[in-house]
Amino acid sequence: MNFLFPDTSLIFITGGVRSGKSSFAERLAEKVAVETGGQLTYLATGIATDPEMAARITKHQRDRETAELPWKTLEQAIHIGDVASSVNDHDIILLDCVTTLLNNELFYKNQAWDAAFLATVKDRIVSGICAIKNRAKAMIVVSNEVLYEPYSANELVFTYGHLLGQIHQQLVQLADQAYLIEAGVPLIMKSAVRQ
Amino acid sequence: MHFVTGGAFNGKRSWVKERFANACWLSAYENAQLPTNLTDINSELLVLEGIEMWLKELSSQSDPAICRDIWRHTLAQWESWERANSQRQLIIIGTDITKGIVPMEEENRRWRDVTGWAYQDLAIMAKTVDVIWCGINQTIK
Repeated sequence: MNFLFPDTSLIFITGGVRSGKSSFAERLAEKVAVETGGQLTYLATGIATDPEMAARITKHQRDRETAELPWKTLEQAIHIGDVASSVNDHDIILLDCVTTLLNNELFYKNQAWDAAFLATVKDRIVSGICAIKNRAKAMIVVSNEVLYEPYSANELVFTYGHLLGQIHQQLVQLADQAYLIEAGVPLIMKSAVRQ
Repeated sequence: MHFVTGGAFNGKRSWVKERFANACWLSAYENAQLPTNLTDINSELLVLEGIEMWLKELSSQSDPAICRDIWRHTLAQWESWERANSQRQLIIIGTDITKGIVPMEEENRRWRDVTGWAYQDLAIMAKTVDVIWCGINQTIK
């Protein structure tokens, strides 16, 4: 067993826009792959809503296919836990990022944001991530810091921030390692070596 | 005086509740007004929550320089309440609203400025400052 990355490790990474969190996450995934001999697996959650987005997705796919260490791609835009059955204990899963997943869950059908719906969405995301990480070698989850401005009177924005904050807290609690990326520099916020 | 800050929805309240049981809470989120006089407080442990909301109100009423005077005066009163009895402890929770894009509206820019300065003043007076991120604290003072 690898000391730094025990089986079913969960690593949580967050940071501001363009903070370098995605590159850090990819480098970390590659490091885990090299150290453990695992399979790099990209869990794609993006939905192509316009041609620019589609082109962007294609470019990312090509980048990963031609990378030095090859990546496998899994696609799951909603109900993330459904993909768990396709995951095995060699896979090093990278999910980038939680906000995309949250947006997909919140907006894929026209649903009123009542307490029951929001609780279901939160649970679906957190337990889905858990289900995947429990089958994987390791799972790296990237999210966005979005909660540092004068929160508006807009109820939707407030509700969204509250929900994302709760998801972050639960993920960090479950995580073996948590990083906050500031201007490309990773700050270790949590690192627990499991017995 | 213990200042607890961090972004919105990062678990500041739970963090404080876990560490300081049986405290008296005055929360701006529950419509408490900025308390200038704490002499009626019966508890030795007092939590003031949501100071950014009080600063919002202050900044909508006065110029930033006056806001800062009022704020420093308030802090001095809070500190003297805490000092009057060695058992007393004051925990102050303020959401960090200062790291976003410059707001479009003048009043929100002023609110943000006043809040940044007020937090600096508070951090100077506080014995301990914790930043809460996703439920994890970093003691920065």
